[in-house]
This record gives sequence, C-alpha cells and structure tokens, in this order.
Amino acid sequence: MMLLIVLLIPLAGAALIALSRRRALMEVFHALATIATLGAGAAAVAQVYGGEVLTAAGDLFRVDALSALMVAIITFLGAIAAIYAIGYIRAELDGAPLSRPRLFFALYHLFVFTMLVAVTADNLGLMWIAIEGTTLATVFLVNFRQTRTSLEAAYKYLILSSVGIALAFIGTALVYYAGAPNSGEIAVNWSALRAAARSLNPEVMRLAFVFIVIGYGTKAGLAPMHTWLPDAHSEAPAPISALMSGVLLNVGLYAIVRFKAVVDVAVGPAFGAGLLLGIGLVSLSVAAAFLVRQRSYKRMLAYSSVEHIGIICLALGFGGYWGSFGALLHVVNHALSKSLLFILSGNILLKYHSAEIGEVRGLLHAAPWTGALFLAGTLALIGLPPFGPFISEFIIFRAGLESHPWAASAGMILLVVVFGGMLASVNQMLYGTPSEGLAPGDALRLWLAPIALNFALLLTLGLTMPLSFEAALKQVLQVLGV
Amino acid sequence: MSAEVLSKAVNLLSFVALGLTILVIVRPRLEGQVSAFGLQSFVLALLSALIAIHSGSLELFGVGIVLVVVKVILIPRVLNRAVAKIGLARVAAPYLSTSAALLICALLTIIAFYVMTPIAASNPLPTADAMPLAFAGVLIGFFIMVNRRRAVTQILGFLMLENGIFLLALLATYGVPFIVEMGVFLDVLVAVLIMEVFIYRIKDNFDSIDVGQLGKLKE
Repeated sequence: MMLLIVLLIPLAGAALIALSRRRALMEVFHALATIATLGAGAAAVAQVYGGEVLTAAGDLFRVDALSALMVAIITFLGAIAAIYAIGYIRAELDGAPLSRPRLFFALYHLFVFTMLVAVTADNLGLMWIAIEGTTLATVFLVNFRQTRTSLEAAYKYLILSSVGIALAFIGTALVYYAGAPNSGEIAVNWSALRAAARSLNPEVMRLAFVFIVIGYGTKAGLAPMHTWLPDAHSEAPAPISALMSGVLLNVGLYAIVRFKAVVDVAVGPAFGAGLLLGIGLVSLSVAAAFLVRQRSYKRMLAYSSVEHIGIICLALGFGGYWGSFGALLHVVNHALSKSLLFILSGNILLKYHSAEIGEVRGLLHAAPWTGALFLAGTLALIGLPPFGPFISEFIIFRAGLESHPWAASAGMILLVVVFGGMLASVNQMLYGTPSEGLAPGDALRLWLAPIALNFALLLTLGLTMPLSFEAALKQVLQVLGV
Repeated sequence: MSAEVLSKAVNLLSFVALGLTILVIVRPRLEGQVSAFGLQSFVLALLSALIAIHSGSLELFGVGIVLVVVKVILIPRVLNRAVAKIGLARVAAPYLSTSAALLICALLTIIAFYVMTPIAASNPLPTADAMPLAFAGVLIGFFIMVNRRRAVTQILGFLMLENGIFLLALLATYGVPFIVEMGVFLDVLVAVLIMEVFIYRIKDNFDSIDVGQLGKLKE
C-alpha cells in the first residue's frame, strides 16, 4: 500500500500542476507533491530496512533493499532540487506565459514518477518501459530554453537514448528467452530470475548481458555511448541537470547491477567483471581527456559524471564484498555532491549569463556564498577528505589493488588527471576581478539552503560510517548475493 | 496448423519483413519509406496472428491488433503529416550511395546469421529458424539511422529497429508478456509524437530538416 502511495503522489502532482490556471497554485502543488513524495518515500524506505519487502499490484512492483536505496536517493535529491527549482524558475521565467512553468513543474514530477517506477518494478519489461519513460519525460526539459543548442542537445538525447534503450530491450528479450525453456512459464521477475539463474542458458545470457551493458550503459552515461550526456546535462535547466546527473544516471546503472547479479550466477562472475572493468576504464579515460582544459563549467560537471559512473563500474568489476560496498557508497556520495554542484551552477549561470569558464571571473568576490560552496563541492567531488567521496574511492581502489592491480592503478592515474584538470578550471572561475558592472551578491541565496543537507551528509559519510547506514548497505549486498 | 507449416510461413514472412527494411534504403522519397514501414508492421501483425493461432494464445492475438492500430495506422499517419508539412525536403539525402548501402546491408545480414544461428540452434520453437533474419533487421535499422540525414528517415530507422526487436522477441519466445508489449507500444507512440514535434522545431530553427546541420555543440 505504502509503495502504491509513493508512486501515485508524483503522478497526481503532475496532473494537478497540468490543470492549474495560476502560477502560485502550480508552485503550491509542486511543493506539496515534493513534500508528500519525500515523506512517503522515507516511510517506505524505513519499512524495507526494518525487514519488510513491499509489493504492489500483484507481482509488478517489489521493493527490496536495493530498490529502497534508489528510492531514497530519488526522493531525497528530488526534493532538494525541487525547492531550488521554485526560485530558479521564478528567476528564469520572469513574466513568461503560464504554459512554461506549467510544463516545467508537471514534467518534473512525471520525471520523478518514471524513475520511481523504474527502480520499484519487479518485472524486467516494466522497468524497461519506465526507463524509456524517463527519456520521454526529460526531453522537453532539456529543450526547455528553446535555443538552437538546446534543441540540438534534446534531439541527440532523444535519438541516442531511444536507440540505446532499444538495444537494452534485445538484452531483456534474450533474458526472457534464456529463462523460457527451463521454467516453462517465462521468468519475468527479478525474484524468479535470481532463483532460476543457475539453469539459464549461459551462451544466451552472455550475449544478453552485452546488450544490457551497451543499452542501459547509454542511459548511465558510460563511454563510448556517452556522447549525448555533456550536451543534454549542460543545456537542461540547473535543477533538471542536478537530477539527471545525480540521480537518472544511477537508474541506468541500477538496471545493469540487477542484471549483473543474475549473470554472475548464470555464467560465473569473471565475464561481467571483465566487461565492466573495460567499460569503466574507457569512461574514465574519455572523461579525463575532456576534463583537462574544459571550457564550460556545466560540461565539466557532466564529464565528471561520466568519470564517476566509470569509477562505480570499476568498483562493480572489482567485485567482492569491498568492491561492491564501495560501489554502493560511491553511488550515494556522487549523487549528493553532483546534484549540489549542478544546483550551484544554476546560480552561477543566473549571475554571469554564460556557461563558459572564461567568462566567469572572481566568483568568490561577486557571489561569495555560491563561490565558496562551489569550491567546497568541487573538493568533495574530486575526492578530498573530509568528504564522503574520499572514503568510497579509497575503499574501491583498496579493493581493486588486491583483486585487479593493473586496472586499479590505471584508474588511479586517471583520477589524478581529473583532479588536476577540474581544480585548474574551478580556480580560474573563483579568482580574478569580476567584470565591471556586475553587482556583487548571490543570486537566489536563500533557495540554496537545502544543499546544506547535502554537505551535512557528505561530511557525515566522510568522517564516520553511521551504523544504521552500514546495516542498510549490508542488506543491499545481501540482495545482490555478495 | 502443424509446426512445419508454421515454420515455413514464419520464415517467408520474416524474409519479407527484412526485404521491406532494405526497401527503405532503396526508396528515394520519404513518402515511399513511410509506406514501407507501414507494410512491414502489417507483416509483423500477420506473423503475430499466425503464431497466436498456432499456440492458441489470445494475448498474442491482442498484441497483433494493437500493432495494427499503432504501427500500421497511427504512426504512418503521424509521419505522413510531418512529411507533408516540411514541404520541399522530401528527398531522402543519404550519406552513402545506394549501392554502397546495399553492400553494407549484405554484410550486416551475414553478421546477423553468424551471431544468431548458434543462439537459435538451442531453441526448440518452430519459429526459431528465422531469428537471424529478425536480427539482421535490427542491424539494418540501426544502419539506416546512421546513414540518413533527414530526421524523418532517422525516425524510420528507429522504428525499423524497434520492429526488428519485436520480431526477434516474437520468434524467440512468442513475444514478451502482454502488459510489457502494451507498455512498449505506448512508449514508441509517445516517442514518435515527440520526435514529430522536434522535426518541426528543427525546421523552424534551422530552416531545414537536415540533421547534419545540428553541429553547434562542440568542445
């Protein structure tokens, strides 16, 4: 029941916003839907980690510990970005016709809805439909500013993601096929598939997993299928970029992790590990190459997402208890730090009206809060203590050096390159004298308040490992059979 | 219907479906390409009906009917509307010449047989023999998307790819579960409607629907 409520709130919110005739009313519905989604999500997550497994609509939806972790990320960051979105849209759409904010807020909740369906669906096909749905819900948001560049970004995003997801469907169909002859009834649910994993045809499962990694890897932003990502994430309005980079990429990754748990049993863990290590290293290399001397700060953050998804893939490839534990922890850390940085990038854009790093001078002077927070967020993201990503990257590469020393060493070298490249870019933005006529003061300072929570969590994860959180991650590892 | 007759009929129809995919490459004008897609979808509906009769599956019969509504009637209508509105740019403008494109189609078909034959060999269903043909359709649909500059042809390539996957799933397992199939149709329909909007926006912004013009976003 709780699960159904979590899914229905954002859908109802989107419908109410679409029907609103007044701007204030839209904002009220937006805020209410956000709070309600967060509350219901938290309640559902608490139930799952209390030991229950939530189901809804027969066997279509099922929330275990892994799904619950995703629900927590989606609803929490969905709420953080939603609050900032109110201020951002007021600033960006001052005096625009009503249809614009209506489109934005309605699609926002539709987007959250499709992500929630994707991670709670027990049926592989339904998950596929929902992940394709995330593309369809966000494509107009990428094109929201209606410039030529955003049009190009949105079209590319639509076509490439649709093709990627089509390839994932071949993988899904092949998994159905691998399960069909043995179980009689086609095994269509994660639970049934895991149980039948040993009897699946390994030949078919190998081919299926290649399609799954390429297909859902496109949605997760893995190189070389990432080419839509820097365009789409840099053209979308800041709150949407925050969700696409911090949350949506993880939904693609979630699908890969689910399939990997089955493939590991069906064909042995070496096959999936090799594939993920390779694709993780390629992603890290591509990201490193584009992060050195990057000219746009939004693209910089987008490529950094390619990098971090690559790190998570490496961690999954390293496998074992610590590799998998580090991967989960890094998913959380990356989501927290990337979403706050994209939110701050919205503030910089409102101030300087340009996404070029070269145009942004003296950020610490012109917008002290934004500048200081952007610096702190960047330090967290590139893996400096006392923030969470330092710990998760440490765990990951510690595990990697034991199991796959070459891949781990290569990954660490690339990490250093990224470190230098990003720090140099951000340095350029922070110092110097701002151009004349730029009034000092932060844009939307009060609307930034929610990201204090991101920082608090990042610090907590960097300094301690709360027992309840560790227990929750252990429950997820159990689901994955690690 | 005996398994042997079904197997022959399925092989024949899958072959026709693949031929219609290749027809999109040969046809110079967008209207002709749209009708090739509509016809292919109809062939797929026929195939679903045949398999539905053989296996006695009412759900699969329903899938065939929805397929006719969505992919034979609705989507070609949407695409024809788009072709009519964009006016002059009705010639397909590929990157490669037709003969080079056909050569690549042949290569892709060989690859499809190479990859899919061992997979299909372990399948006891009478329809499994045609799986490589379906996979070839997927690969060629993919190639159409890459090779054609017009947004409409790119969308047709996507739809052909989608049809190929539908056929592959149909042949391998008699289709995925009903509710999933319906969801996929819904997604494809919404995707095509969104793509239609984008065709108009590209046309308004760039005064052409040549997607080769979309090259502003660089490092």
